[in-house]
Amino acid sequence: MNIITGLINGMISGATPILLAALGGTFTFYAGIFNIAMEGMMLAGAFFAVLGSYYFDSWLMGIVCAILGSLLMAVIFIFFAVTLKTDEFVTGIALNLFALGATTYMLRQIFNVKGAFSNPGIVPIPRIHIPFLNQIPVIGEILSGQNLIVYITLLVVFISAFVIFKTRFGLRLRAAGYNAPSLDSSGVSSAKIHIWSLIICGVLCGLAGAFLSLGYVTLFSENMSAGRGWISLAAVILVNGNPWGIALISLLFGFTDGLGLLLQQYMPSQFTSMVPYVATLIALYFYSIQARKRKV
Amino acid sequence: MQRKLISGIIGIFIALLIGAIIMLLQGYDPLQTYGALFNFSLFGLFPFATTLRNSVPLILTGLSASVAFASGPINLGQPGQLLMGALFATIGGLYFDLPPWLMIPVLLLLSMLGGALWSGVAAMLRKWFNMDEFITTLMLNMIADFFTFWAISYPFFDRSAYSPMTPQINTKGWLPIWGEFNSNVIVMILAFVVIYFVFNRLTAGYEWRITGHNSLFARLGGVKIDKNYVTVMLVTGALAGLAGGLVVMAGPHRFLKGLGANYAWDGVMIAVVANNGLIGTLLYGLFFSALQTGSLGMELITAVPKEFIMVLQAVIVLVIVAGRGYLDIFLDKTIAQRKARERTT
Repeated sequence: MNIITGLINGMISGATPILLAALGGTFTFYAGIFNIAMEGMMLAGAFFAVLGSYYFDSWLMGIVCAILGSLLMAVIFIFFAVTLKTDEFVTGIALNLFALGATTYMLRQIFNVKGAFSNPGIVPIPRIHIPFLNQIPVIGEILSGQNLIVYITLLVVFISAFVIFKTRFGLRLRAAGYNAPSLDSSGVSSAKIHIWSLIICGVLCGLAGAFLSLGYVTLFSENMSAGRGWISLAAVILVNGNPWGIALISLLFGFTDGLGLLLQQYMPSQFTSMVPYVATLIALYFYSIQARKRKV
Repeated sequence: MQRKLISGIIGIFIALLIGAIIMLLQGYDPLQTYGALFNFSLFGLFPFATTLRNSVPLILTGLSASVAFASGPINLGQPGQLLMGALFATIGGLYFDLPPWLMIPVLLLLSMLGGALWSGVAAMLRKWFNMDEFITTLMLNMIADFFTFWAISYPFFDRSAYSPMTPQINTKGWLPIWGEFNSNVIVMILAFVVIYFVFNRLTAGYEWRITGHNSLFARLGGVKIDKNYVTVMLVTGALAGLAGGLVVMAGPHRFLKGLGANYAWDGVMIAVVANNGLIGTLLYGLFFSALQTGSLGMELITAVPKEFIMVLQAVIVLVIVAGRGYLDIFLDKTIAQRKARERTT
């Protein structure tokens, strides 16, 4: 039983950052932006989360700073890709490397360390213990006692699905991706929709970053996002942006993450670390098989 | 060409200006910092030779990205291909014992094989299962990263070392050094000339370029797109692998953890700034290498951390690319306005 609850908890903690970033990515996906900057946004969020939490002695400020830091990346993206109409792919690549360089630089400038910064002064985001629910055996251990961000993420899944499919903004969002000129001609600026989608993406990636650095560990290390932004991009593409599908796929990735940790007893950790990436490839394989069937 | 040169120089100038503002905000002296940066990378025989040597992996991965992007495939697998190339060259260097004139070419070929093998995986996934190489190459990067880490931690681990690394390769596989100059530059120039010739003068290169411009047109014109796709992936993988092999053979002569550094991603950035032009890739590669080489001296003299260069590079890329796009829009607009005026009169 312990192994199963451990596996499920590992799955949830592995899935949360990917899910948040992917939900951010799905807004830009529907808006028709080729946004590959989730990685950089997440990394910036993770760094500023530690910064805020450390200097203000409060995890709430950590989250706020994470969102602000990630938003800064989003604003740069907006400035170049939307305002100056720079190629989105190029902007994304440059932004990811900018985030990597800037966080490494600031790590040295502000905290005077190389590699990683951890300090008892960093306040982690608390776990939430729900009364009554935590009394239930087995399930209680899963439903209750998760990190605050996990519950927020769950909420975000519902909200994103609602916003994208049931609101006027969602309709316009999808229209911007489907046919931007016709949206423009109906009197709604597609550029504005693009900007909003990127801002939402920034906020969600900031949360994902905060979870990375203040969730289950309380430290920031260089290139901490470690390709999770790319996996979340793969998740978005795999399910064509559907929030429910993204949730499912993220849980699958989280499961492989947890599975990797479990397998560490039997094989070198380098191979177990590969598992999520191999899982992404396998998922892509099934996706393309499906896509081919649909075409035929 | 002139337009590119102008936008490049203006872009670099603006980016350096932005960098100067960031430094001023933090209380550093920008002039002194830039002085130290270029003093330690360009002026003098040793600094310049070091810049040249360091430019090799940047330019080769840049060429790999340029050729790939210009021909269609979005091969972002340079980091992984570089590592696999380096691993193959290292393994060859550990077990082969040939005279240097044979050893060096064999190791170089091995490194190209390693890179091509890794890009070949992505190419096959695309060809057989229609999986997007954009994501598969990214995932393969991560897998190569962990795989090489495992290889240098267990099977090829140097037992006398404290951190994961392989023993040094056979000295016959070391690239010769003449005075300050490392011969890896010659290999790079050779590779550049070959790629330039193939890309610009041969039918194959013409087909690649046309496919990159307009694949439908190329297909209707009788170009075998699928076959070319695989060839381009293999060639660009081999280029990135060669970069990895040269890093091992010219530098530490062994595979250390973190060997690939950021070379490959910098190479992708270089290709992007150069707008996938081969000569542009060469020039920007040299410039980026100058920045990175000078950064150590800069840190020594002015206490600006060398990581600052990573920020500066990204700023340069964004400013140049955005500036170029904006310049084009601006010029097109003026031309359109002029035409409109001519019509009305």
